[in-house]
Amino acid sequence: MRIVAKLKTVEEIEKLIDLGVDVLSVDTPLAVRGINKEIYDELDKIVKYNKPVYLFLNKMIHEDDIDLVRSILQDAKEKGVSGIVVGDITVMIIAREYEMQDRVIYQPGTMNTNSFDSDYFFMNSIKGITISKEITLEEIKKILENKKTEFSLVGHGFLDMFYSKRKLLSNYFVYKNIVHENIVNNQGFRLKEEMRKESFYPILEDEFGTHIFRDKALESFSEIKELEGKLDDFFVERIFLDDEEYYESIKAYKNEEFIPEFLRKYKDKYNKGFFYQYTEKLKGDLNES
Amino acid sequence: MRAELLAPAGNLEKAKIALLYGADAVYIGGKQFSLRARASNFDHSMIEELVEFAHGLNKKVYITMNIVFHDDDIYGLEEYLVYLDRIKIDAIICSSMIVLEKAKELTNLEVHLSTQFSLTNSFLANYFYFEGVKRVVLARELTIDEIRKVQEKSKADLEVFIHGGMCVSYSGRCTLSNYTVLRDANRGGCAHTCRWLYELYEDGELLSGEHDFQMSSKDLEALGFLKDLLDIGVCSLKIEGRMKSIHYIATVVSAYRMFIDDYYKGTLRDLDIYRNEIKKAENRQTSFGFFGGDTTIDQQLYNQRSEVPTKEFVGIVKAYDQDNKILLLEQRNYFSPGDVLEVFTPNKDIIQFKVEKLYDENMLELDAARHPLQLIKIKLRVSVPVNSMIRKVI
Repeated sequence: MRIVAKLKTVEEIEKLIDLGVDVLSVDTPLAVRGINKEIYDELDKIVKYNKPVYLFLNKMIHEDDIDLVRSILQDAKEKGVSGIVVGDITVMIIAREYEMQDRVIYQPGTMNTNSFDSDYFFMNSIKGITISKEITLEEIKKILENKKTEFSLVGHGFLDMFYSKRKLLSNYFVYKNIVHENIVNNQGFRLKEEMRKESFYPILEDEFGTHIFRDKALESFSEIKELEGKLDDFFVERIFLDDEEYYESIKAYKNEEFIPEFLRKYKDKYNKGFFYQYTEKLKGDLNES
Repeated sequence: MRAELLAPAGNLEKAKIALLYGADAVYIGGKQFSLRARASNFDHSMIEELVEFAHGLNKKVYITMNIVFHDDDIYGLEEYLVYLDRIKIDAIICSSMIVLEKAKELTNLEVHLSTQFSLTNSFLANYFYFEGVKRVVLARELTIDEIRKVQEKSKADLEVFIHGGMCVSYSGRCTLSNYTVLRDANRGGCAHTCRWLYELYEDGELLSGEHDFQMSSKDLEALGFLKDLLDIGVCSLKIEGRMKSIHYIATVVSAYRMFIDDYYKGTLRDLDIYRNEIKKAENRQTSFGFFGGDTTIDQQLYNQRSEVPTKEFVGIVKAYDQDNKILLLEQRNYFSPGDVLEVFTPNKDIIQFKVEKLYDENMLELDAARHPLQLIKIKLRVSVPVNSMIRKVI
């Protein structure tokens, strides 16, 4: 199982390699929830470290994004990038033009919830799929039994649970007639719901819309042992974590003797997400069809 | 090809009303595999009755199967698909690959891709077309110019939402409900967590007023862009709202039917004429969503204010006695002698009259129509068709 870390600066590459990171992942101009898109300009330097590199290209792809998707894929091919993490299978379709579909990792967040998806994307010859975040450990194990393509999990950090094209923070400040100079990519905003007074949900507006995250970060130290051997990539999400905590997270996944120390230090801000929590269906409705 | 007007239906009565008031097709949820959990979903006998009714009018019925499947949801899927094929459902609407693949493998069903997939470009439309999907429902995040571009290149037919509720997130990409109340938003359990009231903090400092940070979207109302959509040539114009009342469905369907018919006849009228019809039943604030570009505060709902419909629905016509000139209606809201009522027929005729006297079904005089579903008789000299709506002029 490869540990996939998100790269913030070129200067930290050696540090991450020393920690045991197997794959360096990099935001592209079409990444959402990114931590540093400018680093994409330094892709030439990053690939020279001879570590596999994944590119995040996980925006919902609209018609006007297509040229940039092609440009990034061309660039990725020339530079020998190992994986393209996508949120929209449009990128898989365009990657065929470059004979690169075997590098696509489909990570939509919500859609990969059953065993059948493995068959489907195997037939489409993509590199792998990232299992959705809102399913239980038992469901994950069952999906992993039918392993035809690579499987991955976003198993650590603050996970998103909402992706809107609307600029909800900017619009709110307009509505309130408040001038705020620092909205886009500001990681300091939190939402508190009136009935959940102890929960602060991170909310982030980037250039492509608004994202809301769980109030607690996810940790999978014990669960990952149960999935070892079946999972190919384990993504360690970085957004809202400071560098020290991020490095310590990776260290603990690479060497379990550091887990107690990590949990002693950070336990309160983490939980187990949906590993042991089944979500009910058929109680509400949705404006969809 | 004339654009189809596609209406929602939460039950058999609503479905028939939608078809009678001008929808070319209705979409419904079966008991399984559909997102509209609280919409009174159809059992097999109701589906069969509706298919027979719709096909008798040369109209269509689509079934939604748009949950995001987990492994334990798959039980019964194959049998259900075969059943739908056998009773000649006109199409299924799905968002999971397993439904698409099983439908192709086991049936001749026409498959439409649900908006749950948030399809936003022509590449994806064409991909699904070659995968066997005849029609794709576009994401509601597309501008009118984007829809035009997709239509120019797409081999799949396009279906576009024109009216009703809107998710504030990309559809299918939200799990707020899962995390906050353990109800799976993508399997019919959405708790509308996005419509709750929040406070906004920055670095620990409260920025908002007391719980005045809201994310709710106004409902969609596309009248201002409907001519463009028809010019572009999209295949289907879709109304949202399987939970809405029969009066709402009749009114909204009828207004859009009028617009579409006028468009094809070259007799389009001022938009306010159609808009005023919709307002007779609309109780939420509306906007044009993303059709005009990125959304602003004008597309958001910050004050939770409801609109008051300009007409109140009071009953539905069950029969008209030609010999005795007596109207039989089923009561839905209070009214009494002295009220001015408006009959709104499936043929879009509107007849206003003042109620002089009310009677129960045994012709005993009443002082008011107080009881929901009570059968009420009114003397009326003008013949009105069954299933006409009766509204109170407020």
